Amino acid sequence: MRKLLSVVLALMLVLGSVPAFADIAADIEAGQGLTHEELVEKALAESGTFVVYGNTSRIATAAEDFAALYGIPTESNNLKDQEIYTKLRSETGSSAADMVMIQDGAQLTDAIDEGLVLNFVPASVKDLLDEADQQPALVHQYINKLFIYNNLGDQVPAIRNVWELTAPEMKGNVIFKNPESEKVNMNFLVMCTKDEWADKLAAAYELWKGEPISLGEYKNAGYKWVAEFLANVTFGKSDTTIAEEVSQETAAGKIGLFVLSKLRSSSVLTDNLTVAQYDGYQNSYSVEPFAGFMYPMYTMINSKATRPYTGMLFIEYLMTQEGFQPWGKSIGAYSPNASIPVNEGDLSIDVWKASLVMEDAAYILESFEVEDFILQHCQK
Amino acid sequence: MDQAKPAKSRALRVLGQIRSWLSQPSNIILLFFLIALTVLTLYPLLSMLTETFTIHTGREARAARLTAGTLSMYHFERLFATAENDYSWIQFYQPLLNTLLVSIAASLIAIFFGGTVAFLVTRTDLKYKKFVSGVFTFPYIMPAWTLALFWETFFKNVHIGLKTSNGIMASVFGVYMPEWFVYGAFPIALVLGLHYAPFAYILIGGILRNMDANLEEAATILKTSRGRVIWKITLPIVKPAMLSTLLLVFASSMSAYSVPVFLGSPVRFYVLSTKMKSLMDSYPGQAYIIVGVMILFGVSILLLNQKVTNSRKQFTTVTGKSGQISKIRLRKANRPIAVLLVILLLLFAVVPLITFAMESVIIKAGDYSLKNMTLDFWIGTHLEERLDQGDSTGILLNPKVWNALGFSLALAVTCALVAGTCGILVGYGVARKRGTRLAGWVNSLSFFPYLMPSLAFGAIYLAMSSRIPWLRGFLLLSLVGSVKYLPFASRSGVNAMLQLSGEIEEAAVITGVPWWKRMLRVLFPIQKSSFLSGYLLPLVSCMRELSLFVLLVPTSNTILTTMLMQYSEKGWAQFGNAINLLIILVVLLINYLVNKLTGASIDKGVGG
Repeated sequence: MRKLLSVVLALMLVLGSVPAFADIAADIEAGQGLTHEELVEKALAESGTFVVYGNTSRIATAAEDFAALYGIPTESNNLKDQEIYTKLRSETGSSAADMVMIQDGAQLTDAIDEGLVLNFVPASVKDLLDEADQQPALVHQYINKLFIYNNLGDQVPAIRNVWELTAPEMKGNVIFKNPESEKVNMNFLVMCTKDEWADKLAAAYELWKGEPISLGEYKNAGYKWVAEFLANVTFGKSDTTIAEEVSQETAAGKIGLFVLSKLRSSSVLTDNLTVAQYDGYQNSYSVEPFAGFMYPMYTMINSKATRPYTGMLFIEYLMTQEGFQPWGKSIGAYSPNASIPVNEGDLSIDVWKASLVMEDAAYILESFEVEDFILQHCQK
Repeated sequence: MDQAKPAKSRALRVLGQIRSWLSQPSNIILLFFLIALTVLTLYPLLSMLTETFTIHTGREARAARLTAGTLSMYHFERLFATAENDYSWIQFYQPLLNTLLVSIAASLIAIFFGGTVAFLVTRTDLKYKKFVSGVFTFPYIMPAWTLALFWETFFKNVHIGLKTSNGIMASVFGVYMPEWFVYGAFPIALVLGLHYAPFAYILIGGILRNMDANLEEAATILKTSRGRVIWKITLPIVKPAMLSTLLLVFASSMSAYSVPVFLGSPVRFYVLSTKMKSLMDSYPGQAYIIVGVMILFGVSILLLNQKVTNSRKQFTTVTGKSGQISKIRLRKANRPIAVLLVILLLLFAVVPLITFAMESVIIKAGDYSLKNMTLDFWIGTHLEERLDQGDSTGILLNPKVWNALGFSLALAVTCALVAGTCGILVGYGVARKRGTRLAGWVNSLSFFPYLMPSLAFGAIYLAMSSRIPWLRGFLLLSLVGSVKYLPFASRSGVNAMLQLSGEIEEAAVITGVPWWKRMLRVLFPIQKSSFLSGYLLPLVSCMRELSLFVLLVPTSNTILTTMLMQYSEKGWAQFGNAINLLIILVVLLINYLVNKLTGASIDKGVGG
């Protein structure tokens, strides 16, 4: 009996030590008003290992640097976005993440509504960020996936208009990751069907063909482009593989749509690749109506965090130039913090924002039927 | 008073019956496992079932236009009966047909290939037996997806798939394989079939090796032809093992995820497991229905399997009498068969290892010249020159790798000990009480975890663990691993015990030998090789398991396979290949050590 009692007491203690959602929200409220020194003091007062999950591999470097800087034991985990959401829903206690870096704005909106994660904007960077990058979730960086082609041979697919990718001769020459296996890719295709982008695609079609688009069975130019684009696409396993494969000497005539930052990988033959938008920038043209897409990576506090102040301190750190360094040192990652310049040789975030399709969480959340349409064309 | 007497005596009688029932160890064992397995396998199943009727928050609630938490048939209607955009066809029916095609083909390949080799090794005077027997289990030791990756890297060419580069076959030998050979149903079935062929080899081989030769000898004395002996005696005896293999391979192939992704997606070939994974992200209700369908298929084969083992036909093949098995002389055919087999095994089991080794030392992908090679990814200390971030030392100098190796080993050994021991006990209970309802239940329950796709099993245990604060980390992983791999051990346990004639134990019972001594001194030694395979299979499977653990590991550096996946995903293929090779070498080393210490090994179930 005594044993049972002690087990029950221990259970209560463990359960009792998990702070409630409201407590964390109050902590964040308080944290937003703290100076850097006060935040450090609060963070150092917390005990145990600080746990962070990230949808980016470079979180490991950032976490190590952070741990070294403040002497806080830190454990980082690189997980896929879906795994993070699953873990956020199921894990509790001190082994659960205190803070996450995560992509897919549509799912994040749901997670915020569900109360899984909370937003924290450090006072130190508040004035350096656009309002849209602060609410409803703090954007740590933007990541772009671009049309990048193999520049060898005499059939170089140096596209100037995305409709060129739908031409019969491009069948099997376009490589993209299956939108079913990564939500941001699905989000991009869904966004193409939004009126704003559908209109631009219709205009681009006219520019390309010299005649107005005839939609046939399609609801708008976006649907038509998505269907015809997917008909020509071959699905690659991962952005890394796609980058490697398109860069091969035997891959003349191939074009991929993948993360720009993969060009840093030592296994990619970068010399054989040309980024369509870079070429356009140098030769004063732009790919009509977009050169790829861009999506944010957010930082959020877990509403079941056991070390919320350390989480806030880490977010503050990540938003500084030093904290951004693991991503910022090579191309393909862009901080919304106006004081952090882009890499030499890369284009500014404003140029990218103007030339790439951006996520609109509200539209994506309502467009589940568009996803069915896309799935249908992924099968054909 | 008069009435109380019979009541009392009735109570006493019942009590006596209970006591006598409980005095038999087999009954206690079965009762214990009935309770434990109900909690550990039926509970996850039921919680999964409720998910298929529940509307989840977010996308699901919006699409169904219902509030989260509502119980509804929405998921069923959507998955089974939505004509718009061909939804049901694309998400369910077509993948289902593909899955059945691939799983049946893989099972047949495994049974045919594994069974034939097992027969050749145990019942003929085939040359190079030692090599064949030793190498045959390699494809099982490798994670299946690395075999798929090997298939692709070896056979890909610029005319098929991504059409971007040539693999070894095209660039070195100038042979361009057609698309159906490299991508789609054929290679998926073949890779899965080869990966699981060791099941057939171990299960069928174990029986062939231990069977009583009297049966065949009797037939030979009566001048029955070789072919007739095989057809009428050998095949019926191995039939239960063949059905077990069918069940194991079919269920595994059905839930295999990474092989279809690697070899199917370039040609848009989808199966149920790939659909389940992507649905799990947005529409979990429908994903769990798919899991349910997979389980249903598994259960039907399980029932078929049970009908055979529970039928009145007895297959007691090991009796107290010993028999010298006569080996078929292959004569002139011996060398050609042996050489063909060795070539096949080299291709499926050894060449992949060489490829992993090569890929772990090259700097830029696709360039196999010496100047593009370095050992830095194994033993280098300044990798920051090659990689712009992450680990700066080769894997052998990286403490993270050693920690993960230690954790993986501890986990695999724990799961193997728990699952293996439970498997023998279940086997004993089921065999001794064969035909009773209790034995039937425990037999089925102990196999049940096998029918749950790993990914879904992991997800359900994660959800369970969130309600039990102390169930996490090593404890959680070893519990999941032990339950998931119990079927291997219980299968080999049941098969081995069924072969044992009851008279062997009876002899010991008569002389008053206690139960545990009978187990340790009599039963275990006789069927040692089968039982040890019940320990080794969970160990090997656990060492290379990914999807079961991926959601449950505290960090991605906890075990070797999650680490391997990370490296592959980050594009550090060299680290990935090096770790893959490390896993295989470690398992081979364990196998070798077990072999040296106990005389048994994975392949020794068959023996050379």
